[in-house]
Formats: sequence, structure tokens, C-alpha cells
Amino acid sequence: MLAELLVPFSYDYMVKAMWVSALVGGVCAFLSAYLMLKGWSLMGDALAHAIVPGVAGAYIIGAPFAAGAFFAGILAALGMAFVKQHTRLREDAVIGLVFTTFFAAGLLMASLWPTSVSIQTIVLGNILAISDEDATQVVIIAAISLAVLFLIWKDLLATFFDENHAKSIGLNTSVLKIVFFILLSACTVAALQTVGACLVIAMVVTPGATAYLLTDRFDRLIVIAVAFGAVTSFVGAYISYFLDGGTGGVIVTLQTLLFLAAFYFAPKHGVLAARRRALAPAKAAI
Amino acid sequence: MTMLMDWFVVPLSYPFMQRALIVSLLVAAVCAVLSCYLVLKGWSLMGDAISHAVLPGIVVAYVIGLPLALGAFAAGLSCALLTGYLTENSRVKEDTVMGIVFSGMFGLGLVLFTKIESDQHLLHILFGNVLGVTPADLVETAIIAGGTLLIVLLKRRDLLLYCFDPNHARAIGLPVRVLHYGLLVLLSLTIVSALQVVGIILVIAMLIAPGATAYLLTDRFDRMLMIATATALFSAGFGTILSFHLDAATGACIVLVQAAIFVLAFLFAPKGGLVSLRRPISPPLEELS
Repeated sequence: MLAELLVPFSYDYMVKAMWVSALVGGVCAFLSAYLMLKGWSLMGDALAHAIVPGVAGAYIIGAPFAAGAFFAGILAALGMAFVKQHTRLREDAVIGLVFTTFFAAGLLMASLWPTSVSIQTIVLGNILAISDEDATQVVIIAAISLAVLFLIWKDLLATFFDENHAKSIGLNTSVLKIVFFILLSACTVAALQTVGACLVIAMVVTPGATAYLLTDRFDRLIVIAVAFGAVTSFVGAYISYFLDGGTGGVIVTLQTLLFLAAFYFAPKHGVLAARRRALAPAKAAI
Repeated sequence: MTMLMDWFVVPLSYPFMQRALIVSLLVAAVCAVLSCYLVLKGWSLMGDAISHAVLPGIVVAYVIGLPLALGAFAAGLSCALLTGYLTENSRVKEDTVMGIVFSGMFGLGLVLFTKIESDQHLLHILFGNVLGVTPADLVETAIIAGGTLLIVLLKRRDLLLYCFDPNHARAIGLPVRVLHYGLLVLLSLTIVSALQVVGIILVIAMLIAPGATAYLLTDRFDRMLMIATATALFSAGFGTILSFHLDAATGACIVLVQAAIFVLAFLFAPKGGLVSLRRPISPPLEELS
């Protein structure tokens, strides 16, 4: 029984998949703490879809996928900003319009050059069969992002929650914001390889939201979110060995279940705690 | 000239292309009408969420032998309801909750899908398979899309008022809750009907682009409905035939034609278009007075 459970660890590709997933899950979770509090959750989703044509194009011409993804991501972000500025359309419509158009372009490219691009891999991820070359890119991206986040997490916090205060203590808030968006695009690219374009949103939203239900302090929130993201990704990749695939689906299902658990059982902000509080005055009166 | 005619007519000599064209046009029309409401209401991303969330419903319906459309509908609607419930009972913001719920359901759908033996092709569910529409599919889509279209058009004034000013709608005695959930139901139905054509990922484009384009071109809602429907029908027809000639994904072609029309409207709209803004011929009236 125990030997069976340890089987995944005896395969190099599984060990690689689990550690890469954990690293990506951790970095995305770090960003999720900011995205969730700032109300930018769907930005992660939009970026993940928008980089698909870049990844497809990079595979077609044989360039590193990260470069293509980055290029498409920047183009989409500029497109959104430009359309937003020049029309009276609501922001959500503009985001939806731009990312679906980019995604459709990626799909068109994949259907025209089906041999060099696997749209299934891009949309659903395939960490179990990731090439060494792609894995290296993912690890480099995630490691650099994590290092940068460790250095500037407090500055980012100040920038997002009280920009005037941040400016008054001498932070360059516009540079910090740009850095944040570059980090977000980089992590989206890394997550795309792990869980696929459709599920990136979970990686950059769910850990932060779960941690938010468990604590009121931002430093603890980051620690909880990162641990949550890394552990669920590691375990999800491990479980997917027994299911023969669907790594992204397993990771995200796991994260959602834990979020629901926190939603009910969180000591202070859970539904049960709220119910207890609602009953307490009645009991006290008796 | 004959060559141009041939370009359009030759593909239609195949029965599968005829069915593809009919079903695309139907779905385009109903999505276009809905898109006008979504753009006004700010629900564009609700369409995104519901469309991803239908996946587990399709898989479960397949396993227990129910019609796939029924499962998809139930899953889509529960995503919307669950989002509402979680938002009301926690301190997490609505957009975050929506992201968690729909990605969780999509992930669950993928896990279920890898575990069942199925002749359904996952990529067909994700990206649509309009060239493989059977006559039975066509009838099903026609019933769902036609019914949805009929209800929306009958109730278009009430829905408009609800989207535009819910408080006013409540004040004059409209059943706001019924309209709210009614619109969610209609949205889920529309997404279900569009699954065959563009799949669950691109349906969101069909639910945004026509309304957004029309919104740039007119201030009146009736005209907006008409323009949206016209651009959507054109895109669906042209995109389907284009995909035949390019041998490319049909859903992607339809969406890209719609996007091209949006760009044209964005640049050349008579009022507020980018190009006309750059060359003001006469100052606007407000500045004169």
C-alpha cells in the first residue's frame, strides 16, 4: 500500500512535475494576495487567454514560448488600455472583447498549423509531459518573480493600499505598478504551462481569497496563500499520477474545495463562526 | 464576379456546410440580442464564468444519460447562484468569488472528463464543432435559441429598464428579482445553444462583441439591438464560409470577423470614432452654445 503511494516519486518526470507545479503555485499565490484585495481577479484570466496566440506563434516559428507569450500579453494590455481610453464601453466589456479576440487568433493559428501547436496543451496545460527546455523557462520565470516579490512586497502593499502615503515616503508608485504587471504576466506564462490557459485564474485568485478568510494581517495572508498554493499544486500533481492526467483540473479542484472549507469553517470569517456570533447574544440574554 | 459568387456558393453545396451556416446564424442572432443587455448591465464577465462552468454539467449529463444541454444549463445556472451565495456570505469580492467558482467547476469538469470513457471529444466541447452538426443538433439548437430569442424580445423593455436602472424598475413595480434570475436563465440558455458553434471558450466573444460594436454606433437601444444582430449575422455567415476556404477553426473565424467589425466601428464611428475625433470638422454643439 505504502509502496504504491510512493510510486510517483520513483519517476523523474513526476518528481519534476510536482516541484515545478509547487514553485509556480507558490508564486501565483503570492500575486493572488494583491490581485484579490485590489479587485483585479479577472485581469489574470484575461491575460492568460490573451497570451495564447503568442505561445502558439512562438511554437510555430520555434522561438522560446515565454518570449511570444510576453509579447502577446503586452500587446493585449496596451489594446485594452487604448480601447478603454477612447470609448465609453465599460471596463469589463473591453477586457472581455480584447482577450477573446486574442484567444480566437491563437485558436486560428493552431488550426492552420496543427502539427507545430497543440492547442490542447496550451489550454489545458501538460506539466506531466513538459519538455526540459520549457520546464527550465518556467523555473527561471518563477524563481525570478519570487525573488523580486520578496524584495518589494512591502512597497507593493503600500502602493496598492495607500498610494498617497507610498508617494510621500518616496516610493515610485508608477514603476512599482508596472513591475507588478510584468510579474503578473510572467507568472501567467508560467502557470499556463502548468494548469493551462483556462485555469490560470484559479492559481492567481483562490489561494489569496482562502487566506483572506483565515487572517486579517497581510504578512500572514501572504504566508498562508503561498503555502496553500505550493502545497495544493504539489499534491495536485501527485494525485494526477493516479488519474492519468488532468493535472490542472486536479490542482484547481483541490484549491476550490479548500476554499469552500475555509468559507464554512474559518475561525473568524467563516459561515459557521458568523452563525455562532448571531446566536451568542440570544444565549447571553437567556 | 462569378468567382466571388462561387466563393460564397460552392461551400453551401455541402449539406454539412448548410447546417453549419444555419446553426451559426441562429446562435449569432440570439447571442447578439443578449450581448446588448450584458454590455449595458456590466455582466460581460458573467457570460465568461457561466460558459466555463457548464463543463462538469455536460460530463455528468453524459454519464447518467440525460441530454447534454440540460446538464450544461443546470451547471451554468448553479455557477451563477453559487457565486451570489458565496459573495453574500463572505467578505471576498464578487469578481474574486466568480473566478474561484467558475475555475473550480471547470477544473472539476476536466477531472471528471479524464475519468470517464466517452466518445465526446473534449476539444469539440471547448471550441465547438459546427461542421459536425447533425440534423438533430440543429433542431435542438433551433428550439433553445428560438425560444430564448422570443422571450427576450417579448420582455425587451422590462429587461432594458432592469439593466439600465434597477431602482427605477423596482419603483414602478417591476418584479426585479424575477428579471434578475430570468436574465441569468436566458444567459445560460444562450450559452448552451452556442456550445455547438463556438464552444464554451469563444461564446463569451459572441456575447460581448456585437453589443459593444453597436454601442459605439448608436445611442438608441432599439437601433443597438438591430445593429448588433446585423453585425453578428454577417460575421457568422462570413466567418463560417471563410473557415471553409481557409480550412481553419470555424468559431475562431466568426469571432475574428466580429472583432474586425468592432475595430472598424472603433475607428470610423460617426460620433466618437477615433478617426473622426482626430479631424474635428466643426466643434461640437455644446462648445458653440
